[in-house]
Amino acid sequence: MTGITALGLPEARRNEAAAIFRARGVPHRRVEDWKYSDLRSALGEAGVGAGQAELHTLHLPAGIETFDLAGTNPPDWVREYFGQADRNTMSAASLSLAAGGTAFRVPKGLVIAEPLKFEFAGAGHVRGLLVLEDGASLTLVEGVTVERFRNAGLEIVLGENARLEHVRVSPNAGEAVMVEEVSVRIAQRGQYRAHFAAFGSKLSRMEVEVALEGEGAEAHLSGVALLDGKRHSDVTTHVIHRTGNTHSTQLFKHVAGGNARAVYQGKVTVARGANGSDSNQSAKALLLGENAEADLKPELEIFADDVKCAHGAAVGDLDAESLFYLQARGIPEAEARGLLLQAFLEDAVAQILNTDQRELVRTELLTALKAIA
Amino acid sequence: MSIAAETKSQVAEIGEKYKYGFVTDIEMDMAPKGLSEDTVRFISAKKGEPEWMLEWRLGAFRRWLTMKEPDWARVHYPKIDYQNSYYYAAPKNTPLKQSLDEVDPKLLETYKKLGIPLHEQMALAGVAVDAVFDSVSVATTFKDKLNEAGVIFCPISEAIRDYPDLVKQYLGTVVPVTDNFFATLNSAVFSDGTFVYVPKGVRCPMELSTYFRINASETGQFERTLIIADEGSFVSYLEGCTAPKRDENQLHAAVVELVTLDNAEIKYSTVQNWYPGDENGLGGIFNFVTKRGDCRGKKSKISWTQVETGSAITWKYPSCILRGDESVGEFYSIAIANNYQQADTGTKMIHLGANTRSRIISKGISAGKAQNTYRGLVSVYGKAKNARNYTQCDSLLIGGDCGAHTVPYIESRNSTARIEHEATTSKIAEDQLFYCLQRGIPQDEAVSLIVNGFCREVLQQLPMEFAVEAQKLVGISLEGSVG
Amino acid sequence: MLDIKNLHVAVGGKEILKGLTLSIQPGQVHAIMGPNGSGKSTLSYVLAGRAGYDITGGSITYNGEDLTALKPEERAAKGVFLAMQYPVEIPGVTTMTFLKTALNSQRRARGEADLDAIGVLKLVRAKAKTLNVSEDMLKRPLNVGFSGGEKKRLEILQMSVFEPKLAVLDETDSGLDIDALRVVAEGVNALRDPSRAMLVITHYQRLLDYIVPDRIHVLAGGRIVAEGGKELALELEAKGYEHIIKVPA
Repeated sequence: MTGITALGLPEARRNEAAAIFRARGVPHRRVEDWKYSDLRSALGEAGVGAGQAELHTLHLPAGIETFDLAGTNPPDWVREYFGQADRNTMSAASLSLAAGGTAFRVPKGLVIAEPLKFEFAGAGHVRGLLVLEDGASLTLVEGVTVERFRNAGLEIVLGENARLEHVRVSPNAGEAVMVEEVSVRIAQRGQYRAHFAAFGSKLSRMEVEVALEGEGAEAHLSGVALLDGKRHSDVTTHVIHRTGNTHSTQLFKHVAGGNARAVYQGKVTVARGANGSDSNQSAKALLLGENAEADLKPELEIFADDVKCAHGAAVGDLDAESLFYLQARGIPEAEARGLLLQAFLEDAVAQILNTDQRELVRTELLTALKAIA
Repeated sequence: MSIAAETKSQVAEIGEKYKYGFVTDIEMDMAPKGLSEDTVRFISAKKGEPEWMLEWRLGAFRRWLTMKEPDWARVHYPKIDYQNSYYYAAPKNTPLKQSLDEVDPKLLETYKKLGIPLHEQMALAGVAVDAVFDSVSVATTFKDKLNEAGVIFCPISEAIRDYPDLVKQYLGTVVPVTDNFFATLNSAVFSDGTFVYVPKGVRCPMELSTYFRINASETGQFERTLIIADEGSFVSYLEGCTAPKRDENQLHAAVVELVTLDNAEIKYSTVQNWYPGDENGLGGIFNFVTKRGDCRGKKSKISWTQVETGSAITWKYPSCILRGDESVGEFYSIAIANNYQQADTGTKMIHLGANTRSRIISKGISAGKAQNTYRGLVSVYGKAKNARNYTQCDSLLIGGDCGAHTVPYIESRNSTARIEHEATTSKIAEDQLFYCLQRGIPQDEAVSLIVNGFCREVLQQLPMEFAVEAQKLVGISLEGSVG
Repeated sequence: MLDIKNLHVAVGGKEILKGLTLSIQPGQVHAIMGPNGSGKSTLSYVLAGRAGYDITGGSITYNGEDLTALKPEERAAKGVFLAMQYPVEIPGVTTMTFLKTALNSQRRARGEADLDAIGVLKLVRAKAKTLNVSEDMLKRPLNVGFSGGEKKRLEILQMSVFEPKLAVLDETDSGLDIDALRVVAEGVNALRDPSRAMLVITHYQRLLDYIVPDRIHVLAGGRIVAEGGKELALELEAKGYEHIIKVPA
């Protein structure tokens, strides 16, 4: 095993993660949670390997402290928050196999206007940590580079009243196998907003776990997936309302054509006594063509009674009447389909607060739609 | 030493020599404890089954030995010791009572609360037939009507002997022997159950109920039911009853297979009130059932309606395979879990044919420290053009110590299919309760009223007699759950 | 019939009623007016016996009996009716089913025999006609999707069916336009009876043009601060609450 002392983690922690990964092995389709994303099969003989990927900072706004996770003597804030999450298998893998990554800290009360931009690059395992202290505010733009295989684990900690908007656009990545786990903890009145735009790859799995740990904490997740060919995209979320008076929404839209497979698994857990929690989930998919597939699994796990939880999921096709209407007004079929698909995806895109990013996602979608429709 | 050998040696001690190692001189009511090939042979022999049936059972048994018990449901139960059970017991020859006066008054009170008609109370309580007013004539008219229509309705053991071709043609074709652990076990040791065949174009003249079956009162552990609706026919079948079912047998693993041919329809309703164990969850029944309907014919329809309460652990997913074009599958369910009960129930709608439709309405009610899970699968295969599904799952939580979980799987491989799923979670609002109290409705009755309102859409699917009893059952199951 | 003496009531630990005294005799209609937050709804909930409204002092006597010792459904059976400001919805339970269940529960508690379905239907239909409550409303789930006016009319229909001895009407006029108000008021007036007492709680004087009270009490800061005949309402209308209330809230 490489890099035991890397990442500044106590050896025991590292070993613990390694043991978890060893016991469970690379997930495959008989593992309930990975039913629609057979990672073991996609990786083949090569397995997860022990390669080292990196976190490249593309733009670092002033005021943000960073720490190279490969370095020694991590500061207190890294020691306190880093290396907590490994409930899921691939996070245990990255925690035990990665040798580097970057940690970022936005100090108390600092409201940063320009986005922090970074991307995970290279093949292999890598970790990241982002801490927003009480009252801090930031936009994170996460780029995604294409690589044969990467397994990235990102931990995010939001202090009281902290606000983070996270936008991640992952391009059409051909034969790449990409796995990322984002684990978020939110304190009182903190807010996490995230949007994941996915154009698919051979296997692409985005796992987001959000724990609402203080009253008034909020999480708003949205995403779009536009897939063609043999692309696959799996967004699996788990929002946990640990205390009462917390609020979460999810809105995910998927369009799959060709032989593509769009997957959404959204679990919402409301813990015992978390009264006053409010959660709303909506997942919709449109299939184009004979061979595309959509798999949706919105799950509710409720242990408190004074809560408002609802979810909806729907799979369908483009409304024939709307299509005809556009054509009757002179719009050629391909263009009409594109318009309707765009309209379908729009409300998820509208969830992005940052104007530049919103426009960017819209443009990417338009380009991809022209190719599909 | 294996069970069979042990018995053999015991028997040898008594100084007798017997074919299967069991005592046959004295009329034996039970197979010895444990499960082996000999047990299977014993059961088959007791039932007087033909060779092909025995072979079928043995095949299932050998397969079962290679299988592992499933563990993925959200239910937790103590390990079942399969060797520590009796797999065959003849119907009890308990002396019949002469009147209701001899029946446990508490039992009678429950029957009264449930509004069970008098003659049915007597039958349930084991009162001798000739002491029951009208029941003989009722049973006779019933049989005559069915014979006239050509409907076959008899215990499955009878069907195996009298209609072997029909049984051979359909048994195990909807739930294959290898389908799952409990179904395989059932295939090896099933002891009783219902067989129904409705001929072409016949609308069965009355609702068929297990109550009217010939050896009605005792429900076997491993029931096997097979219902076939031939082209253009219709039958409504009622299983179970609202009376609390107490049983020493902990494990119930039934298999129900339904087949509809072109334009035929089967309506299958279940109202079960298993003994849930005491308030601490001890001694309850484990209810693992495999129920599946195969809509083989075009425009055929299978509808499952269930009201389940009681068993300590329930694991059942009545399903429909929508094979025939334009076939329809429906699932209406009320699942109540109180105290320490655990329910994991739901349905699977498999859309294979074109223009198929399915509808799922699930109402789950949790109270006490119970855990109630809905697990559903709507799967649309590539050739299922224009498939349509609508699912509505609602959970009602009573009190802060219980849990309600919804796990829907939605899989679509056809671009023209439309699937819609909605789920909500709610509680009985304090102001709703107060409103009822202020209008004079006492607490438990108010809870019953509100919960029955919550379940209305499902209750409306039940045949009338069941619906009234089911409403009362809902109320009783939740007595004392609020406050 | 109803004797409230120096009543103190706390809700969530905070004292809302601070020594309220009020008496009402059969055949009388009394109005309770007051600014928002004065404790009007608290009074109505306490009379109905709602949990969470704690009596910290004083007494309520109803026909010589201690009302506070009775559960809400027991009070109902003894003839106490509260027409609520915000009638609740109960999905899946039709209005008719609700009426039948409630009526028979009350009858049972009084040792009377249940009315069968036909009996209830006849009774309800007759009363529904006068109140303009349609057959359709009777078949729909209770209050689900009903307009404000429909909900209030239904409250009065229930009052008419249960024939209470003490009717407390909590802001029955809130959310109603003139026409709806008239229908509701007519319904209430039709139920006046020498054996029946009514407590009409309202914020605005307007309702009292239609339901003319024998006595008006002004509630402010948890106490009755003024009393008078029906003219008091007009005075309040002209001069506002501040003028009448000499004791700060």
